[in-house]
Amino acid sequence: MIFSGGLYAAAETETSAEPVAKPAAIPAVKEEAPKDVMSELDELLKKNNKCLRCHSRDKFKTLEDGEELSLQVHKEDYISSAHGEVACVSCHEAIGNRKHPSKKTNISIASQRDYSLELNQSCRNCHDKKFAQYEGSIHASLVTQGSKKAPLCTDCHSAHAIETMANFDPVNDLPCKQCHENIYNAYTESVHGEARINGNVIRDSHIQAPICSDCHNAHEITALAIGDTIRSTCIGCHENVTLLHNQWLPNAGTHLEIVSCAVCHAPFAKRTFDFHLYDNVTGAPVTRPVDDELVQQKIQAIEESDGRVDPVEIWKTTGESGNQDQATDISLRSRMEVRSGVSAHQIAGKSFAVRTCDSCHQQESRLNQNVTVSIPGSDGRIQRVETDRESLSSVEAVNSISDFYALGGNPSKFLDILVLLSLAAGFAVPIGHFTMGKMIKELKERGEQ
Amino acid sequence: MSQIPSDPKQTDAWIKTRNPELYINPLPVRIWHWLNALGFVMLILTGTQIRYVNLFNLMSFETAIKTHNWVAFAVIANYFVWLGFYLFSDKITVYHPELNMRKFFDKAFKQIMYYSYGIFRGEKSPHNVVPHDKFNPMQSITYQIIMLMVVPMQFLTGIMMWDMKRFEGLINMVGGIHVVGTVHVMIYIFFISFTMIHAYMGALGKTPATHFREMFTGYEEEH
Repeated sequence: MIFSGGLYAAAETETSAEPVAKPAAIPAVKEEAPKDVMSELDELLKKNNKCLRCHSRDKFKTLEDGEELSLQVHKEDYISSAHGEVACVSCHEAIGNRKHPSKKTNISIASQRDYSLELNQSCRNCHDKKFAQYEGSIHASLVTQGSKKAPLCTDCHSAHAIETMANFDPVNDLPCKQCHENIYNAYTESVHGEARINGNVIRDSHIQAPICSDCHNAHEITALAIGDTIRSTCIGCHENVTLLHNQWLPNAGTHLEIVSCAVCHAPFAKRTFDFHLYDNVTGAPVTRPVDDELVQQKIQAIEESDGRVDPVEIWKTTGESGNQDQATDISLRSRMEVRSGVSAHQIAGKSFAVRTCDSCHQQESRLNQNVTVSIPGSDGRIQRVETDRESLSSVEAVNSISDFYALGGNPSKFLDILVLLSLAAGFAVPIGHFTMGKMIKELKERGEQ
Repeated sequence: MSQIPSDPKQTDAWIKTRNPELYINPLPVRIWHWLNALGFVMLILTGTQIRYVNLFNLMSFETAIKTHNWVAFAVIANYFVWLGFYLFSDKITVYHPELNMRKFFDKAFKQIMYYSYGIFRGEKSPHNVVPHDKFNPMQSITYQIIMLMVVPMQFLTGIMMWDMKRFEGLINMVGGIHVVGTVHVMIYIFFISFTMIHAYMGALGKTPATHFREMFTGYEEEH
């Protein structure tokens, strides 16, 4: 590293405050900084200029896969970027540590992706905390699994025109859109996206409408489709949500726990009763290794047959494949969820939210027709398999699915028959008793005659 | 013994000259009974609407739930009128006038025979109603089971379902929400036929209105 931490930090702060005016900010730093530091900066800019003399030209390198890698760095973009004061060799360490490659000492690069993967590690040198967060993300997990599309640092931040967080905004083409376009479009049409586009104004009040990273984190990107994470994320901004629901919604606490916010607040979303395995010891959904063969075989068998699965079967399968050495207390839990990631982002204004209870609390509700089982992988991705309602009313399901209960939404033909029998008895006993009385009276009268 | 006049015109006059010895339904019991009856009918109706929201549309699901909850709490409060009256008065003897099981079963058998046959022949009920022993053995055992076991069970399961989050621990302890819900529904099923048959049996007095009138005035008429 050429820079000391102190100088780098000063440069970053300056950049964050006025990213666009970055070049103008350099003299300001110069005026305040000690002479020796300034000479280092001058030295750096000279060295960078040395690199940029060639690399600002439109040059290409042919890679082993035949693809052409652009070697061009737009000077103005780089200088005005968040890394404008960072030496080129800080990231391109290999070049800094040895002679610049030439036709004689050519560096062999398999593909652009391989080169990006190699250089990705250099971000850790300065951004170790952010990089550690990234390593725990679903993006990094996909990279580890060999995905060619999963984003590296430069895919979101770009390689040389690095932008600061302040410039990341959905209305300015947030990088998430590159891969998640459908979800991005749903977001921009949602109450959150519209408010953001309208300058963070909703109902004439100024608010801080969320962007992708507010719910999913910027670097420790997580999938929010299972468990309580999404609810706590919503409540993070909508603090009085419990109080507001308590004012009108019976069993508000339970509803907020087992019904995903989007189920009611994305009124046109397709919904599903979604089952997942829950570890009662850790208090979190059970995740399976992404390559869990037993579960994968089971799902494959289901897909090859009728495409539907009994949640109890999945429950058993996962129980069998569980770690026998570890004491586990696993049960099958259900939540009302929206069916897709797109639906989860179609959040409408409060006045459009579903408030009719019988949307869920009746047997024939269209919402009740969809039943799925989710198997979250250890990387956060979810495999969702369709099942049917019949399997939920089986004797075995009642024993294992302790949480599946919705007033008016639970099919129990046995209890329905008992209701009818009770009603019939309520009529039959009086009518029978009355008729019998009449008959005995008549017989008695005949006998007396 | 006082007896209800056969001429309806004289009934009012007869009611005004009540015999204190036949005052079998004191005011707290009458208040409890009729509030309870109204509450039960409302709970059964709203309960049916909640369970079968797609079959008929008496009211919205939200109204049904809220009405059910409010009426249920009123019925629970009313239960303590009944319990308090019998615990803190000497009237508790109406349920156990004498603690003799053999005699009890003997009387119970006679009462079953009366309801299944004797009543049609115009026989007199084997049970003689007096203030300290107003229930026949069948009524006594049925009402005790209902008031001390079935009704409290319905209250408890109902309260658990009213706020599942608050009573989560208790719900899990008794076997989960399925068990609680099923017990609540089973008792609801029992009360559907019980309420109908109870009302019919109330009409088996000297005239169909006799027992109903007794439950309003407090005075036994059939002597």
